Amino acid sequence: MFERRLYYHIDWALLFAILALCGLGVVMIYSITSAQPRVGTPMHITQLYAICLGLMAMVVTLTFDYRTFTDKSHLIYIGLLVLLLYVLFFGMVQMGARRWIPLKVFNLQPSEFAKVGVALVLAKFFGENRGAPSWTDLAIGGALTLLPLWLIAKEPDLGTAVTLLPVFLAVAYLAGMKMRILGILALCGILAAPIAWKFALKDYQKSRISTFLDPSQDAKGAGYQQIQARITVGSGGLSGKGFKQGTQGQLRFLPVAHNDFVFSVLAEEQGFAGVLVALGLYLFVILRALEAARLAKDRLGSYLVLGVLASFTFQVVYNVTMSAGLAPVKGLTLPLMSYGGSSMIATLAGFGLILNVRMRRFTN
Amino acid sequence: MALVEDRRRVTTRLTILQSLITVVFSVLAVSFWVLQVVQHAKFEEMAENNHQRTLALRAPRGLVLDRDGKVLVENRLSYSISIDRERTKDLNRTIRLLAAVVGMDEPSVRAIVERHRREPAYRPITIVQDATLPQVAAVRARRLDTELPGVVVEQVPTRSYPETMGAHLFGYVGEVNDAQVANGDGGLKSGDIVGQSGIEKVYNAMLMGEDGAKRVVVNSVGREIRTLEEDQPTEGHRLQLTVDIDVQKAIEDSFDALAFNGAAVVLDPNNGDVLGFTSRPAYDPNAFAAGIDRVTWASLTSDEDRPLNDRAIQGRYSPGSTFKMAVATAALQEGVITPDFKVHCVGGATFYGRPFKCWKKGGHGTMDLRHAIEQSCNVYFYTIGNMTGIDKIHKWATLLGLGEKSGIDLPNEVQGLVPSPEWKQQYRKEKWYAGETVSVSIGQGSVSVTPVSMAVYAATLANGGTRVTPHLLKAVDDGSGWKPVPPPEPRSKAPLDPVKLQAIRDGLWMVVNQAGTGHNAILKGYDVSGKTGTAQVISNQGKERAGKTDKDLRDNGWFVFFAPRDNPQIAGVVFLEHGVHGSNAALVAHHVLDTFFAKKEGRPAPPKPELKANLVP
Repeated sequence: MFERRLYYHIDWALLFAILALCGLGVVMIYSITSAQPRVGTPMHITQLYAICLGLMAMVVTLTFDYRTFTDKSHLIYIGLLVLLLYVLFFGMVQMGARRWIPLKVFNLQPSEFAKVGVALVLAKFFGENRGAPSWTDLAIGGALTLLPLWLIAKEPDLGTAVTLLPVFLAVAYLAGMKMRILGILALCGILAAPIAWKFALKDYQKSRISTFLDPSQDAKGAGYQQIQARITVGSGGLSGKGFKQGTQGQLRFLPVAHNDFVFSVLAEEQGFAGVLVALGLYLFVILRALEAARLAKDRLGSYLVLGVLASFTFQVVYNVTMSAGLAPVKGLTLPLMSYGGSSMIATLAGFGLILNVRMRRFTN
Repeated sequence: MALVEDRRRVTTRLTILQSLITVVFSVLAVSFWVLQVVQHAKFEEMAENNHQRTLALRAPRGLVLDRDGKVLVENRLSYSISIDRERTKDLNRTIRLLAAVVGMDEPSVRAIVERHRREPAYRPITIVQDATLPQVAAVRARRLDTELPGVVVEQVPTRSYPETMGAHLFGYVGEVNDAQVANGDGGLKSGDIVGQSGIEKVYNAMLMGEDGAKRVVVNSVGREIRTLEEDQPTEGHRLQLTVDIDVQKAIEDSFDALAFNGAAVVLDPNNGDVLGFTSRPAYDPNAFAAGIDRVTWASLTSDEDRPLNDRAIQGRYSPGSTFKMAVATAALQEGVITPDFKVHCVGGATFYGRPFKCWKKGGHGTMDLRHAIEQSCNVYFYTIGNMTGIDKIHKWATLLGLGEKSGIDLPNEVQGLVPSPEWKQQYRKEKWYAGETVSVSIGQGSVSVTPVSMAVYAATLANGGTRVTPHLLKAVDDGSGWKPVPPPEPRSKAPLDPVKLQAIRDGLWMVVNQAGTGHNAILKGYDVSGKTGTAQVISNQGKERAGKTDKDLRDNGWFVFFAPRDNPQIAGVVFLEHGVHGSNAALVAHHVLDTFFAKKEGRPAPPKPELKANLVP
């Protein structure tokens, strides 16, 4: 349980950076949505609620020793699989995908929590094995990752599903996976790409990738968002157009500006200066969390930190790249800043675990 | 040991990850720097193109008012639906979609686009002019970025002619044609609406305003959010015409009641102000205002009655008996006869071995000039015409305005013909025969006149010899207040002896007020003076030969008039095509004069006439 002295070991700097990013997100959401007519609670207020819920979740994941969570990780994992199956059959359909479980207050997106669940179960699994993971270990770890990944991909939500892969790779890497194996996996990935192109990808996914390679081939269709993203960012300039003054976001040339493209809006309204501040904060959060992995008193802790951090980092890098129109448009949100309750709660809960590991580095 | 190694490996690999992340973030920062700082100008321009549009604001044409300031021609707002080629990625798709949305067939939309293809791309191509509200609603209901990319709905001022009258006088407007752009007068550019006929054409430079422009912010679906700057269009100059709307209506109503084709021109004989002007059949200028459709245009151009033809200035007709005053003037002024000169009419006479008939079979007996005019005795005018000679008739007829262009400010006026030996030698390479002079003396033979020149003729007789120039423009307001336009100089001034002229006027007064053929025009107390004319469209022999044909072979009817006889205030002509007899034309004149004097003296205007033409020849 929470001991009073642990309070002094909380990484306040990390927590402050996280809250700063959350705040930045709320401001950008307010900027982009306040001028637009909307029924019900304003989006920035909803986002504030989500942050509060996330902070409560963080308190929960902080309070108990992280080993309590990893010990129960198989139960958490199974629970998550059940939720993912439930979504697949009974979930709410929005924009052509079955991703949500409607609750009274908000719609729960179990796939967001799957990232934390997988991090827990993989940390436990690799933490119990001494030495470099064997082929069998990798196969089991891979299977543990692919099962929820497949369920999420079926929703379909390929973007979120793919964020589970870095979790596995990062944890396996830290656990001592041979670089050779990493190379082989990378090779397999490259070889599998054409096959996936042919059989696994849907037409809209193909068009997103092909228009990324040449956005002008469909400037009003799939390439539109990418071109608009680049215009949005580029027109921001050094100091930006000012709060609520961005033309691209405000006049809706950029779709889902409060969500997937919140970083583009930041770049437009606050310019390169704002971008540097946000990128700096994210970099600080990531490096500081890696520091927690280094300081962890056991491998389990290191693996857990890295597992949680891997999907976060992947999503941040991908989303920021996409926001500048430099990557194919994918429904991947920017953790901590994008509008979305499940993502916020899951991310803050995950950082609770990271803070937890660092905080308990001296306990036995 | 394994634990320590384990620890070291974790530390190493974490260090590698830290470096990797730092590199990745540095790359990201550099990428943003390139986009936001290095390429900023390019993207800023693209963002501006995204959300800013320049819209042309078409200037309304100047209003046209009547002499009392009543509106004759105005503007209304209409919607036009255009394609902005700069905003369309796939023009064919837009054409297809737009055709479906506004309910046009695709080939015709394509044809419109094709016609404007060579124009600069920034200029929108108007597909639907004067769009209906359902069409506008159908377009507005769709996203203008993806569903109807590049489609623009604009509100444009459109010419409106509230009362369908004076079509040939006002003319019509239409899109400028290639030849007009090539001429480049007044810096016309493709797509401009210019006057194509009537005063719309003659005074186009004044009536056309200067287009403005508006820079607006639009959102991603093409809706206007706000205006950044606006360069207001300048309305064209307002024109005040000499036309009196009530006189004009009186003419139109009379023609409606009689259902004849023809023309009428009514002037102020003192200065040439055109008070009323019409040509029938007419067309509806409103049909042109927003671009005439092909069917309507085809029906106008193929109509055998030629409604686009302005009979008042472009029709040449035989004047018949109305020419007799010209002959009388020549004979009197040249001293060939005096008003008391008498001729005995027995219903016909022989000149140069050829018989010439009077219209009255039993003859008129002995009559002087006044009665000869009153009775329109042919034998009298054969005689004095023959005595005067063609050269002098030609001279005086020309001085009175016949066979000349009137100089009215309307486009494409044609010239009539008062023949002379020189003319015949030059154009027919033939000698003048003295017998022809006898025919000309009663307005037959090769004499031809336009209705507008007949109006000048009436005015010249009325005002004592001043050949005024009929004109329509009274004042112009270029935005700084009304500036009167002085009437143009008279074309000529005939040295008429007032005493001799009075004899002719007496005759004309008797035509209306005594036993003459113009009785229909009588207006108690106003001394209406006038002369009917009935001119054959085809000779009597020809009529028999033609037998029963579909062609209307009935005679044309004329009535030239002025009133009051002394100190006249109004003069004019009514011409009825196949109007059977000039007395029918006098019916029109009567209503016009009645309206004119009623208005002048503040009496209520006479009601719309129910005229009944006498169709017995």
